[in-house]
Amino acid sequence: MGKVMLEVRNLKTKYVTRFHEDVYAVDGVSFKIEEGKSLGIAGESGCGKSTLALSMMGYYFPPLHYMSGDIIIDGKNISGLDPDEVRKTILGTEIAYIPQAAMNALNPTQKIIRFIEDVVRAHQPKKDKKEIRAMAEQRFAELGLQPGTLDKHAVELSGGMKQRTVIAVSTILNPKVLIADEPSSALDVTSQKMVIKMMRELMEKGYIKSMLFITHELPLLYNVTDDIMVMYAGQIVEKGTAKEMVFDPVHPYSHGLMGSILVPEEGTRGQKLGAIPGAPPNLKKPPNGCRFAERCKYATADCRYTSIPEKPFGDGRMYRCLKGVDELKEVYSGE
Amino acid sequence: MKNTLRQVFHSSKFVAGFVIFVAIILMMIIYPLFNPGNPLEQIGVGTFAKPGTYVSLYDAARTKTDTLRLPDAADNRIAAALTDEDRVAMVEWFTLMGADISDLDTADTDAMIELWHETYDPTARPKGMTNAKINYYKRLNNAIMDLGAADTITIAEYNDEGVLEESKTILDTDYVNTKNVANVKTLPLGTDNFGRDVLKELVSATGTSIRIGLIAGIVATVIGLTFGLLAGYVGGWLDDIIMFITNIFTVIPSFVLLILITYSLGQEQRGAAVVATVIGFTSWTWTARSVRSQVISLRNRDHVNLSKLSGHSLVRIVVMDILPYIASYVVMAFILQVSSGILAEAQLSLLGLGPKTTQVPTLGLMMNWAMLYSAHTNGSWWAYFPVILIITLISFSLNLMNTGLDQVFNPTLRD
Amino acid sequence: MLGMVALFKKAAIAEERNDPKNMKGYRKYFGKKILWFVITFIVAVVLNFILPRLMPADPVAAITGKLAGSGATDAAAVQRIYEHYQEEFGTNKPIYQQFFLFVKNALHGNFGLSFSQYPRPVSDIIGSAIVWTIALQFPAIIVGWLLGNLLGALAAYIRKGFDKVLLPVSLFLSNVPAFGMAVVMLVLFGVYLKIAPISGGYAFDMIPHLSWDFIKSVISHYQLPFWSIVLVSIGGQAVGMRSMSIYELNADYVKYARFLGIKDRKIVGYVFRNAMLPQVTGLALSIGTMIGGALVAEIIFSYPGLGSAMYSAVTAADYPLISATTLIITVMVLVVTFILDIVYGFIDPRVKAAQYE
Repeated sequence: MGKVMLEVRNLKTKYVTRFHEDVYAVDGVSFKIEEGKSLGIAGESGCGKSTLALSMMGYYFPPLHYMSGDIIIDGKNISGLDPDEVRKTILGTEIAYIPQAAMNALNPTQKIIRFIEDVVRAHQPKKDKKEIRAMAEQRFAELGLQPGTLDKHAVELSGGMKQRTVIAVSTILNPKVLIADEPSSALDVTSQKMVIKMMRELMEKGYIKSMLFITHELPLLYNVTDDIMVMYAGQIVEKGTAKEMVFDPVHPYSHGLMGSILVPEEGTRGQKLGAIPGAPPNLKKPPNGCRFAERCKYATADCRYTSIPEKPFGDGRMYRCLKGVDELKEVYSGE
Repeated sequence: MKNTLRQVFHSSKFVAGFVIFVAIILMMIIYPLFNPGNPLEQIGVGTFAKPGTYVSLYDAARTKTDTLRLPDAADNRIAAALTDEDRVAMVEWFTLMGADISDLDTADTDAMIELWHETYDPTARPKGMTNAKINYYKRLNNAIMDLGAADTITIAEYNDEGVLEESKTILDTDYVNTKNVANVKTLPLGTDNFGRDVLKELVSATGTSIRIGLIAGIVATVIGLTFGLLAGYVGGWLDDIIMFITNIFTVIPSFVLLILITYSLGQEQRGAAVVATVIGFTSWTWTARSVRSQVISLRNRDHVNLSKLSGHSLVRIVVMDILPYIASYVVMAFILQVSSGILAEAQLSLLGLGPKTTQVPTLGLMMNWAMLYSAHTNGSWWAYFPVILIITLISFSLNLMNTGLDQVFNPTLRD
Repeated sequence: MLGMVALFKKAAIAEERNDPKNMKGYRKYFGKKILWFVITFIVAVVLNFILPRLMPADPVAAITGKLAGSGATDAAAVQRIYEHYQEEFGTNKPIYQQFFLFVKNALHGNFGLSFSQYPRPVSDIIGSAIVWTIALQFPAIIVGWLLGNLLGALAAYIRKGFDKVLLPVSLFLSNVPAFGMAVVMLVLFGVYLKIAPISGGYAFDMIPHLSWDFIKSVISHYQLPFWSIVLVSIGGQAVGMRSMSIYELNADYVKYARFLGIKDRKIVGYVFRNAMLPQVTGLALSIGTMIGGALVAEIIFSYPGLGSAMYSAVTAADYPLISATTLIITVMVLVVTFILDIVYGFIDPRVKAAQYE
């Protein structure tokens, strides 16, 4: 087992809406990522996966608020640190973020190199412009980006170029953990491939040591990450290796999610393609029992009232359902 | 629809604007019921009568009196007789005469008069004082002397032979009840330079100005909407031409066009409706621009394409599939047009290019008259301040409503 | 009109082909702007010429008729003026000849003689008025713009209490008509508090000359008109800047920059720069309205600028003066708009990028 790069323990955060209502978007999430590994998080939109990404940065500003839990990066617990300390020593250097809408992630009126200067100097105030430029040019070249990009404004770049630039800028300080929130969802297939290739390269060259990849496209995760977690209504409902999760999902929600997409692999052919009916619960008042019970076709009365803990099984896997693993598999095979 | 309305009325800004606007409209409707008549009727002779209640002296003299012995009546009488200017002049006199005024309170009428008696000398000719000023002090002295001597006023009337005959004596303790006086008139905002009741005029002018704003807004919105829809939906060369015209008229200042057009029309042709229409004709560009850009973003939406495939007519597509989606923008633009129309009328009138003056008052004309007769420099605040306030409030309320709508329909601006 | 549109497109395309790549965006933008400026200018001149002539009556007869009616001048003078203007406007010639005459005269700065101040040339009246207007309005509008943006940005950034007070106040202020603000300022500071003179550009007993006394008089007469224009512009700008800043503060790049550890102070710098840029265009688009309002404010203060010149021209039915002032004001607005557009092109890279699309 490799060195643990990122460990999250029972993390709880909430949103406060403009009507002063609390939305518990991340409700007790725990996981680990080892050095050199990547973890994918899948779920419908609104399940809390993007909030989870923001929450893991350890840097909170309204409307997001930290409640409890630990975020440990390479053995250092960053939750509870002074925000300015987090900003200076953690963000960008220990943990970096690639936002969902990279199209708008760069300041439109600033040259890329000026932004890189600001990023580097936020952590190394003494570094001079020449050094930063040399460093940026080298990294851009290595990642297959033209150094001329540095002297352009964000508005002059195409969508795919913007996204790749954002990835290069995010990782310029060699963070230990990279959190990518749907980095490729808005792109065309070619750009998507380039983005994925770039992220692989970053891992292989050791510029980043671990990665958390968030998406609603499961086939993508299967190709990109080592492990996959499925998130529903602010909680992790199942965790396993990519292969296990795609070909052998246990939780009814994961099962439904796999059924709702086409995976062009053997064994899935002929499987019904159908979205899961219903909508996720209101996270202002999360239900006491299983959060998926309302939409689950296998749910019993007990499911709605019994709080369900994470249940480990198999080789380091976990799921969150009242029913046993075998019981569930039997039901699925009967369909 | 219902839901949208509920959302709109949840916006505090919209509600605040709406309440102010409705209050103004209600005033416009209700006040004439209590005070009917022609708002341009000249009830006063002379300019700028102060706000207040006017009691007919003629009728009061003939009204049955009651006797009231009020302890401070004499003091009030003396205090009212000495204006602030008189008091300043008196202090000036005291200083010239070298009197000790260190403890003097100008509001203390008794002390002032006492000191006056001590220091006034009709023969004194202070150095550098003009004759006019000396005569002024003489008159002031007479007035002050009269104050002390006041006891009764005798009213005499000509009898049948044409000889004056005493008919009535008025004591300083005689009072009339205003309810018994045949003619009492309250002018809450006094009269203007022509002797018109300002409040009545203001209410009528507000109505006219809002109508001018509405006409201007409707004209501008109809033109802007038509152009915007054609340019956006039909596109092609029609779009090029319309945008060409729109861009030009965006840059050429509309008030210059307004001045040229209204001046060319001449005084006789300039009714309120004509001025309003001209204002509308010079302010449609914003509506055209925003409608066009909205329509362009809409015209390739699925529901529009579906309608096209179904062979629906252009008019039907525009009315059923486009208009509902841009309605909020059009309403917002319309609100702004109304408010700027009212302002444009006011500015034109101040330049002397407003509606013909004989028919109706407008807010701009009232402002123009007040300025022509120097209401602002002679202290007649009631002739101009309410006008400014009403224009500001109308425009403020309309803009508040607009901001409220904007926040509902453009959530990114939401707080 | 169609031909002109095609011409404009062709010019734009040709430019795109010929230019070196790096400056292409800018060249195209500026080329477009210059072309628009020229076209708009021509249209403005045509309108200025044609609108008064659309009226049924012969303008010269109408003018001199008014003059004779007012009894301001004796019959001989009216006759002289009538002949002078028939010659000047060439009302007996075909309309296109009249137009070229009009353009030729305007180009030479010859706007004829004023009726109300006969025989003073209109160009002379305008020449002395325009200095006052430019000296009053541009500093006032710029100061109002700067202060408004500053307050708007503060309101957006601080929010809470400051914003709660500032927003309604700014909204209210922005809705006070310019002339209303002028009257209120005049009465408050001029009539009641007596801390500034209320009328004219300098003391009425002075003749313009270069002396300390005269400059002092000019400065003290400058205060009320200046601040009343500033106050009105502040409100509108503050409201606009506030919503632009709030919009920008919620932009994705703010969040991203924060997560890369950049200091909030630096990010606020990005935000305000970006919010400020559209405000430049906003100023370009509203400068016409602002100048219009400020001209009326001039009338209130009898400030010796174009507004007062126009006012006296209207009251005295001084047609040549009206025609010339409106033309000059249009040109002024066009030039300012053009300059602002050009400045904007340089400071906002988005403009350059947009030209490639």
